[in-house]
Formats: sequence, structure tokens, C-alpha cells
Amino acid sequence: MTERNEFFNTIRQALGPQTEAPNLTGTGSSALGDNSDAVSARSQAIQAYIDEQSGPLMDSLSESATGAGWKVARFDDLDKAGDHIVGIVRDVEANLVVRSRQDVLESGIVEAWLASLGVDVVPMALGEHSEHTVDELRSLAERADIGITGVDYAIAETGSCVLIPSAQVSRLVSLLPPIHIAIVQRGQVLPTLDELFTIRRRDFLDGNLGSYMNLISGPSRSADIEYTLVTGVHGPGEVHMILVG
Amino acid sequence: MQSHTKDFRQGAGAALSDPKIQANLEGLYNGFHQARIDASDQTPDWEALQDKGRAIKAHTLDNLAYYLEMVERNVIASGGHIYFARDAEAASNYVVNLAKERGIELVIKGKSMVSEEMALNHRLEEEGIEPVETDLGEYIVQLAEETPFHIIAPAIHKSRGEVSELFVEKLNVPMYDNIEDLTREARDQLRQKFVDAGMGITGANFIVAETGTVTLVTNEGNGRMCTSMPKIHVAITGMEKVVPSIEDLGLFLRLLIRSATGQRISSYVTTVTGPRGEDEVDGPEEFHLVIVDNGRSKMLADPNLREALYCLRCGACLNACPVYRKVGGHAYGWVYPGPIGAIVSPMLTNLSEAKDLPFASTLCGACKEACPVKINIPRMLLYLRKELTQGETYPEHKSVSMAESTAVKGWRASVSSSFMMRLSNLGGRLLQLPFVRGGRIDRLPSPLSGWTKHRKFPAIASKPFRTRWKNIGKK
Amino acid sequence: MNQTDNAVKASLFVTCIIDQFFPEVGEAAVRVLRRLGVEVEFDQSQTCCGQPAFNNGFWNDAKPTARRLVDSYEGEGNVVVPSGSCAAMLRVFYNELFHDEQDTLRRAQALAPHVFEFTEFVSDVLGAENREGLFHATKPMRVTYHESCHLKRELGVDLQPRSLIKSLPGVELVEMPQAEVCCGFGGTFSVKYADISAAMLNDKIANIQSANVDAVVAGDMSCLMHIGGGLEKQEAGIRAIHIAQLLDERI
Repeated sequence: MTERNEFFNTIRQALGPQTEAPNLTGTGSSALGDNSDAVSARSQAIQAYIDEQSGPLMDSLSESATGAGWKVARFDDLDKAGDHIVGIVRDVEANLVVRSRQDVLESGIVEAWLASLGVDVVPMALGEHSEHTVDELRSLAERADIGITGVDYAIAETGSCVLIPSAQVSRLVSLLPPIHIAIVQRGQVLPTLDELFTIRRRDFLDGNLGSYMNLISGPSRSADIEYTLVTGVHGPGEVHMILVG
Repeated sequence: MQSHTKDFRQGAGAALSDPKIQANLEGLYNGFHQARIDASDQTPDWEALQDKGRAIKAHTLDNLAYYLEMVERNVIASGGHIYFARDAEAASNYVVNLAKERGIELVIKGKSMVSEEMALNHRLEEEGIEPVETDLGEYIVQLAEETPFHIIAPAIHKSRGEVSELFVEKLNVPMYDNIEDLTREARDQLRQKFVDAGMGITGANFIVAETGTVTLVTNEGNGRMCTSMPKIHVAITGMEKVVPSIEDLGLFLRLLIRSATGQRISSYVTTVTGPRGEDEVDGPEEFHLVIVDNGRSKMLADPNLREALYCLRCGACLNACPVYRKVGGHAYGWVYPGPIGAIVSPMLTNLSEAKDLPFASTLCGACKEACPVKINIPRMLLYLRKELTQGETYPEHKSVSMAESTAVKGWRASVSSSFMMRLSNLGGRLLQLPFVRGGRIDRLPSPLSGWTKHRKFPAIASKPFRTRWKNIGKK
Repeated sequence: MNQTDNAVKASLFVTCIIDQFFPEVGEAAVRVLRRLGVEVEFDQSQTCCGQPAFNNGFWNDAKPTARRLVDSYEGEGNVVVPSGSCAAMLRVFYNELFHDEQDTLRRAQALAPHVFEFTEFVSDVLGAENREGLFHATKPMRVTYHESCHLKRELGVDLQPRSLIKSLPGVELVEMPQAEVCCGFGGTFSVKYADISAAMLNDKIANIQSANVDAVVAGDMSCLMHIGGGLEKQEAGIRAIHIAQLLDERI
């Protein structure tokens, strides 16, 4: 008998006689009993809700994100947000900035904003426009003073940004530099964690779950010594959430 | 990990007589414990969440084989590898062999209690592979060559001064007198390790069956580093960590995090589904999930203990426990301390050797009250006490002293009737005669001397209530 | 409920510890109940609920006395117990003890809704706080309330004792820090693990002292024996009294 089968035999013996496919109704689990149509319907309802309530959701995110330790600023449009970001970059005397290649940043606006400061901006993605290898990108991210990203979603309940790495989004932009700036646009804010995971389930059923997701809620922190809160352990110690719209 | 559960009394004594440990433990009540109470009070319908979480856990464990096979299919579908380890040794062998095959010399580790069960660091070192703990608390504990003191705050028994001295000794750095500098030093020390390591090992707070996704909850960012920097990511976890759907995660993240630290959410929640995608910039090329039994199937098989597997490892019962807050984590002698540890450690090691753990509780119920999935820990402690005394399900672990049996027989006779109660009253009064002063007993011989060292004991009344009953109200 | 109703009846399960060590507490409970118009009965065959053996794993030795208790009180109406722990044994833990004895389990479960801890009965059933002129003032007193673990966490009784104490003229209830934390008694725990127990007791005493009170009040003589024994050893000058005694002194 293989190790695997032995493992499962032990579990089956421990469980005693039972049916192989459990009855999923009435378990209290929101989950597997539903078919794909039900998940689609829920996702569509969520999309409609967050479009309709985008203003109040931004207000609520602003509050919860502040509570979670983000430095939150809100602007009507990207240009004004750009001025603010230039200010941050200038204040910390940054020399090197890395950014993701999400749509919101892809028009070259970060480069345009920072051109006047003479700061290098490196987009962290491979592809036809990148002149860097993977190893080079990684060492750039290690040296960078600031990482700038868009987000896939934000969550009002918890003050979180949700980043789903992909071809255009490196895992490291929001991780290695000591400062992370995240740009959240109107319409990206979900009310709670539950809506996020319903949408992600829809993505899974569509074959688009991807390999990775981060919910980022404030700075890297630890209270491992004497319960004393310290920020900036392994991840960024300073995090800015820029709300646009 | 070598079990020292039979040395509970010595461990407890050592903690009680160490003023530094006592001072550090004192912070738990107003710290994590109060934070949990505040967080649950502020969460709408907290109790409904608890009930739902418990129902999902019960359902998943009742159908564990089904869900583990689902995990297996989906991990493989996402391009990952999965290994089911019967015990700690098999799990260690898998990881060590993988590391050797890939020529790994340096491994970075996120927090994983299961890897403590496996004594994985020790095994890796034996093979010449350097393991480095990256959670700040775990890093401190590793440098000190100790074991974690608390499930979520492994080094909470150490003051900043002790950590400073440790860093001076082990890292050859100057003495720091503030926590920010200590943390920065640890960050700097570990940064290069993250860059150089060929393998990242983490635990998993949840495994989603439907998608084959591993979920990590961290505050420091080391979990993200371990799953982003090295070429290989290995997640090791107990088989009870499965939840059916990714849609269940919102609920469980709330229950876990709010109960653990009182935060609304931790700084980072990371989900990992297989290795990095083809077009991704970074992330590991290989993903391995190691699912460990190591005695858990014993608890699964026992209907009286199955609910111990509902545990989310939030540590709330430790913080709530007045005994843990006195004896700390090391006294329990194995990986899992505190109330849930008093169930899990005996069952995963040796019940009769760990005999003190189920008995070293006042059954005050604070653990049950704190548990986010309402695990009835006192009920299970009572059950394990019964097993140790009467040996019904685990006769090989029956372990009861003659003295205790005799005492209980005596008690049983004395309460067998009203007449016997009166007789024992008389007998007791005769026995206590040499000790009574002014209706109180100041000092009793062993085994009661421990009691009277710190408290007076009341004398048996000359007329019990049953004798006085007829005359109440008559003067 | 008022005096013109048919008299409320209750059978007192006085508990072995009160019977043998603190009979004056049982007397106080009887006087309070009678003053509230309760016709109190006392079944002389009662001994112990079985908890000492049960908690130590000797379930087979606990069963005979527990079974006899169920026999005695079955169908006898209200049972009042001046102890949260013993009441919890009857109401909660008999479910465990008799898990393999279906008939007794069923009868214990039928009995459970008729079992009341003393303050629960006096407050919820008799509404003592709302009876005008029931309690009279004696000399002013500051007290703090210690929550017995089983009373609070197994029976969910935490407001009743406080509302009774607050209704007493001249008595000031001062909450101490960590009132709900165990005093460290735990039955044989306090003997087997005397040092851990003592460390918990010392915290409890420090919290009581920080409230600057004349007495600590609780609903369980087992905790009070422990706390009182510690207070006396330290010559703290603070009394440890059962809530029935506090009420009895003012009724």
C-alpha cells in the first residue's frame, strides 16, 4: 500500500462508516453547495452594489484604512494625487522608485510625475518593454526607496488593499521597499471580506484565480517583544493609500 | 520534538519563581485577552459567526477524507505537489529529501507550529542545511535555543533587555536599549537570508479544499517574503486546517485574527495557489504542500475529542487561562501549551506521561468562553481525567495512584448516606483536633501542607447543617 | 409574585461543604428564603453531588451519590442550591457523567430546569430586589463581588448577585479588577498544584485589596473557603462571606 493510501485509510477508519460525498446542505457553510450560476449571480449583485455605493464605500474605506495604519489621502483626480505622491517622494529624498504595471499606472503617469525630481522609476514587469532580467528587477526592488502600485480591490470593512500578482504585477513592489504607495480608484472598494472571496470564487470557477493574492492592511508590524508595537519589520513600515475619485 | 510533558511540575515551579517571566505574563490579561474581548464585542453578530465557524469545522472534519482528496486534486491542478505525512518523521524526511535533491543550503521559515512538532530545524541542521526562523519572536527563540512560549507570541516571556543580551551574544552587535532598534537589527540580519535562501517553509492557517489554496496570516511580512523570494515554497500544516470553500475564508479570518490579536485584520493575509504563474515576474517555481497527521487521527477517531481539531490556533484560550498566565508556555513541555495544549499535547505525544496537563486546570471555563469556535475544553479535560483514572478508551494510559484510589473510596463511603455523613463528621472532628485553633486550621501535614502554606483551612463544624436544620428560626 | 399567591416551595440542596464546614451559611439561606415567603424543605438523605470524584476522573465513584440525588429530587419541584458549582454539576455536568446511562441521563435532564442557584432563585424567581422594605440598613459596608467560575460561565449568572447586592441599603458594591478570574481553588487542584493555586489566589487577594472593601462576597463557599483562608493567613482584615449571609444580615 502506498503511503498516501495508508494515510487515507487511517482517516477513513477514524471517521467510521460514512458516505463519500457529504451532504452539503445545512452545514452552515456558505460554500460548496452552490452551483456556478449562484456564484455568478452573487458576483453580479456585488458589482452592481459597489458601483452604486462607490462614494459611501470610499468614505468608509478612508476611515478603516486610517485605523489600520495607512496614511490616507483622497483626491478628485489622478493629477492631484500625483502632486501628493511627488510630495512624498520629495520628502523622503527617494532616489529609486519601483512600480507595478497595472492599468492605472501604465500611461506613464508615475514617470511624468517624478520626472521633475530626477528620480528613476522602474516598472517591475517582464515583457517586450522591459530591459531588465528577473534577477535585475529583484535587486532593483531591494534597493528601491518606494514601491507604487494600483490595487485590484480594496475592502471597507478592514481597510485593506487587495493585490493579485500577475504578468503586470510583481509580488515585490509592495513588499521590499520601505515605503508602499497604493492607489485606489472609485469603484474598486468592496464592503467586506465576504464580497472579495465571492468574487475570487467566481474567478476560480472561470479559471482566473491566479497563484497569489495579498490583502495588505497597514504597515508591517510586530508586537513580539513586550507586546510593544513596532512597524516596518520585513515589509514596508510606511504605507500610503491614495484614494482617487 | 522531544516531549517533556511529564516535567510539568518542575516547569511550572521554575516559571512561578522567575519574576521576569511573571512580569511578562502579567501583560497578557490587559493585552491580547482584553483586545480579543473588545474586538469580538465590536463585531456584529459575533456569536452567529462563532456558531457558523464551528458548524463548518464540524462538517469538514466529519468528512475529512473527502475534503483532503479535494485538496489533493486542486493542489495538483494548480501545478503544485502534495504529500500526506503519516507522522512527524515522514514529513521531515520529505522536506529534508526535497532540500537535498535541490541542493538547498539555506532555508527561511515562517511560523509553523507543525514544524515544531517535527523538530524540523534540528533535522535540517543534521543534514547541513541552515534553517532560519524569520518571525521576530521565532527568530529570538531560535537564537536562544528555546521553544515557543506562546502560539502567536513565541518570545513573549523575554524582556527587551534579555533580547538585547541575546543579540549581543549571538549576532555580535552592540547592545540596544529600545525595541525599534532590536527589530531593525533583526530585519537587517534576515534581509540577506531572504535573498540567499533556496527554500521558504511556512505553515498554513487554512487550506481551501475547493481551490487547493493555502492561506497565511501574518503581521510582519515574513510570510510574504517566504512565499515570494525563494525558488521553492513548502507549506507544512496539520490535516485539520481544511475549509471547504474560498468563500468560507472571510468568516474564518474574522474569527482567527480578532481572537488572536484583537486586530480587525492582520497586516497581511496571503493566499497561495500553486507555484507562480507562467507569466509572473516573481514567486516560487515549485510549490509543495505537506499535510501532517502525526496523531491527529486519534482525536478524529474519538467522538469525545474530535472538536479539539476545530482549533484555529489563535491562542485566545492561552491568554484567557489563569493557569497559563502563571506557568507560561514552557511548563506544558511540548509544542502546544495552555488549555488547548492540555488536550492536544497529550494526544499527540503520550497521554499518561502528560498526565499533569489535563489535571492542572481549575476547570474555570475561561478557555471555552474565549474560543472563537466554542471548543468545550473543560469537557475534554474532564474526559481525559476520566480516561487517566478509569482507562476506558485508552486502558494502556490508565494511571492512578493507590493513595488517590483509597482516598476516593473513603470519600465514596462518607457520602453514601446521611448516616455516613454524620459519622464522617464525627471522625473528621476527631482527626482535626490537634490542628484546630479558633475554628481554623493553620497547618496540615502532607499532602495538604501545600494548601495551608498559603491559606487557613476551616475546621469541620461541630454541628453540621443537617443537625441544625430543625432548629433554624427557633431561638 | 406576592404574598397572596400560593406559597412558593423549594427544596434546599445545601451542599456537602456548607453542611460540614459552613452550616451558618445554610441557615442564612433558609432564613432569607423564608422571609421571601418560600416554604423551604430539606431532604435529610442528601449528601454530595459527586463533583469531587467526577472532577478527578473517578466517574464510577461519583455515580452512586449523583444518582441518589437525582432520585431524591426528581418530581419534587424547585431545588435551590447555594453554590454555583454544585448547581452546575446538576444542570450541566450530569450530562457528561451519565452519558452512558440513558435512563439516569433522561431523569437528570428533566430535573435540570428545576434546579436553581441561590441568587438566581432569589432574584429571577422571587424578585427580591423589587420588594420594598425587605432589606434594612445596618452599618454602611463596602463589598466587592467575586464571580465564581461555574456560576458565571456554566450557569451564566452574573447580573443577579450584583443587582441583589446593589439593592441593599447601606451596602456599596465596588467592582474589583479581574472579578471574573478564577481564584485558583479548583477543588483538588489547590492541593495537587498548591503553588500555582497560591499564585492565582495572591492575585485575587491583591485585586480584592485594591478595591478597599470590608468584605468580598461570592456565591460559592468553595471559592470563599479558599479566598477567606488566604485573607486570614495574610491577616488582611477583609471578610469573605456568602451572598446569603450578606442578605440575611439585612433582612
